[in-house]
Amino acid sequence: MSVTDIVFILTAVVTVGSAVVVVVSRSLIYSVFSLLFTFFGVAILYVFLGADFLAGAQVLIYVGGILVLLLFGVMLTHRLYNLNLTTERFQPIAGTLIAAAVFASISLAAFKTKWKLVGEKELEPTTQQIGEAFLSSYLLPFEIASVLLLVALIGAAMLVRRRTDV
Amino acid sequence: MNLGNLDSLNFFYPELILLGGMLLVVISDISLKGLRVRINPLLTLAALLLALFYTLQTDHGSAMTLFEGMLALDNFALYFKVFLLVAGILVLLGSLHSEELAAVHQGEFHALLLAVTLGMLLMANSAHLVMLYLSLELVSLTSYIMVGYLRSDRLSNEASMKYILFGAVSTGAMLYGFSLLYGMTGSLDLFAIRDALLAQEVVGFNQVTLMLVVVLTTAGFGFKTAAVPFHFWCPDVYTGAPTPVTAFLSVAPKAAGFAILVRFFLGGLSQPAGGQWGFISGIDWPLVLIAVSVMTMTLGNIAALTQNNLKRMLAYSSIAHAGYILMGAALLTGTGLKAMLVYLFVYLFMNLGAFFVVTVIFNSEKTFELQDYNGMFRRSPFLAVAMSIFLLSLIGIPPFAGFLGKLYIFGAVIDQGLYWFALVGALNAAVAAFYYMRVMKHMILENDDRPPTPLRISALNVALLVLLLVPNILLIVFWSPIDRWTANSITLFGGL
Amino acid sequence: MIELKYFLLVSACLFSLGVFGVLTRRNAVNVLMGVELILNSANLNLVAFSRYSSVGIDGQMFAVFVIVVAAAEVAVALAIVLTLYRVLNTVNLDRADVLKR
Repeated sequence: MSVTDIVFILTAVVTVGSAVVVVVSRSLIYSVFSLLFTFFGVAILYVFLGADFLAGAQVLIYVGGILVLLLFGVMLTHRLYNLNLTTERFQPIAGTLIAAAVFASISLAAFKTKWKLVGEKELEPTTQQIGEAFLSSYLLPFEIASVLLLVALIGAAMLVRRRTDV
Repeated sequence: MNLGNLDSLNFFYPELILLGGMLLVVISDISLKGLRVRINPLLTLAALLLALFYTLQTDHGSAMTLFEGMLALDNFALYFKVFLLVAGILVLLGSLHSEELAAVHQGEFHALLLAVTLGMLLMANSAHLVMLYLSLELVSLTSYIMVGYLRSDRLSNEASMKYILFGAVSTGAMLYGFSLLYGMTGSLDLFAIRDALLAQEVVGFNQVTLMLVVVLTTAGFGFKTAAVPFHFWCPDVYTGAPTPVTAFLSVAPKAAGFAILVRFFLGGLSQPAGGQWGFISGIDWPLVLIAVSVMTMTLGNIAALTQNNLKRMLAYSSIAHAGYILMGAALLTGTGLKAMLVYLFVYLFMNLGAFFVVTVIFNSEKTFELQDYNGMFRRSPFLAVAMSIFLLSLIGIPPFAGFLGKLYIFGAVIDQGLYWFALVGALNAAVAAFYYMRVMKHMILENDDRPPTPLRISALNVALLVLLLVPNILLIVFWSPIDRWTANSITLFGGL
Repeated sequence: MIELKYFLLVSACLFSLGVFGVLTRRNAVNVLMGVELILNSANLNLVAFSRYSSVGIDGQMFAVFVIVVAAAEVAVALAIVLTLYRVLNTVNLDRADVLKR
């Protein structure tokens, strides 16, 4: 077993382990913080896959943006002096059964399917390729994504604004 | 023919106009303090009309792809573009004199309406998984915001919350399905995916994986079309949203969802074989669609029977209608597809009509409860008669347009020799007649003791209702243009 | 070099944990975390297949767009959560049940 393998296994264990904490922990704050480790773990897995730009984006957007937003959500929706940030669960048995069935079917698919394989590819920096793709074959999705962000901006601002104009 | 980015712009005017209109509305909303209330609806209407004009002008010769294969422009896409723009215009007109929306400032509503229409046009066109995902998310995200538009209203907020959580989960599942498909074929382009699947002869475990892909992606499309078992959000969201938004959601994103479903399954996972599409692997995929269709209409109709809130009843009825529409898609034939398009077209007018009557009555009565509709005939004969026509059309009773839709759908089903399927559909239509008739009974036959006070309707709303009544009454006579148009519209890029 | 299937296994774990979280949690923020797990698993799949199964970098491009959409979705979702909280003073889904009646 090489060092790479060991690092991979460690990363995978941390990623999945913290994801388990996210979904079973009764404390919202614990959930958010272990989500941090999941996101970081996924970013490291991206590095294993030679996706350097995505690893960076994952850290910047998921950890820096989405996670902070979620933390805000937790903080703002609980009065700060109320330290009892627990969540109750419902339908635990049905949920476990469905999740187990889903896991069985997709992991079986992962191992038994004959995926298309193109052979070994050189590891090379992807930032330039991604940038070029944004401005050539992915130009339209790029623009539509900007419309989507604009809509989200308008919508989010509209929803949380205090009622001043009514 | 595959066009690059610059050449594609010539065929992209409708979308560009909608985008420009949206930006103008946003700008006028923050800069023109007094005028904006008058100008924004006009701007929105102008953008929608202009986009419709250019869509009708589009002469694309033969089917082609735009923007390096991101969009497919074919007759099928054009049909849906016209459909969605008409729906957008009608909903805009219906929202102008709605007391629910008037309570909140309107600027964002118009910007959002244009954005969601843009998203839906792109949905009908998408030929690439990235575009499919992005346009679906653009539509979903905008719909979540529109549902939560009445931000001080508890129902509206709850509905929006349920909608976004359901939507996020189902599109997440769809995305996972896309990723598996990418792994099997190494491509994100729908037509390349089909070619790859055809080339490698899906055998062994890959069949199971492809089935998994189908199930996961159906979660996403099923969410948009509100098909059972992905319909849970639908009654709550439709009840909680402002009524014009409900009317919009029950027609336009649903139709776009059907467009994307047909394009994904027929364009991506099936191959044309002599007037009929065959699914690539050996799994009996149409049977799955037929099962979903039967479940959807049965469940929708049975749940609608016991509803006393008219908005909620119409929500269940729209689930049932999704089932009928799915009947056409499930056949995987040209006639089935055509029947689906005809049904969608008449559904647009009858369903929007029913919802607008509800809007108008809510304006003065502030209620959606069925018993409050008692004696409506004596108070406003016009509204009662209009509602009756829309409901009779929804049942499918001749001579109204709904009959035409049912005729085409059942005809296509019988054409395929699926008599039991047609029978289930007919039984469902009979069950549906009960609850639609119940509404009419309350409006016309039952009177309360109060003296009938006339109901005031604004002139614009009367005009709009007449506009919606005309196709419901006249389509049965002038059905041949619709027949020709839809027959022309089933040509899919790379399909039949 | 690590084989493709191990990445897929990790992503399968994340996906089913996300499904579990979505099904068993009733706090809206918690459900959103489950959704993020699902999106991350799909992204991991896309990037892995982009490395092993595809000639170009289509999968990575898709993943970038997914991240963008996820950020927008979370922003809107939290705006809705905040509005609901303002009206209702709770974010637990089973208490948001006027609609059930």
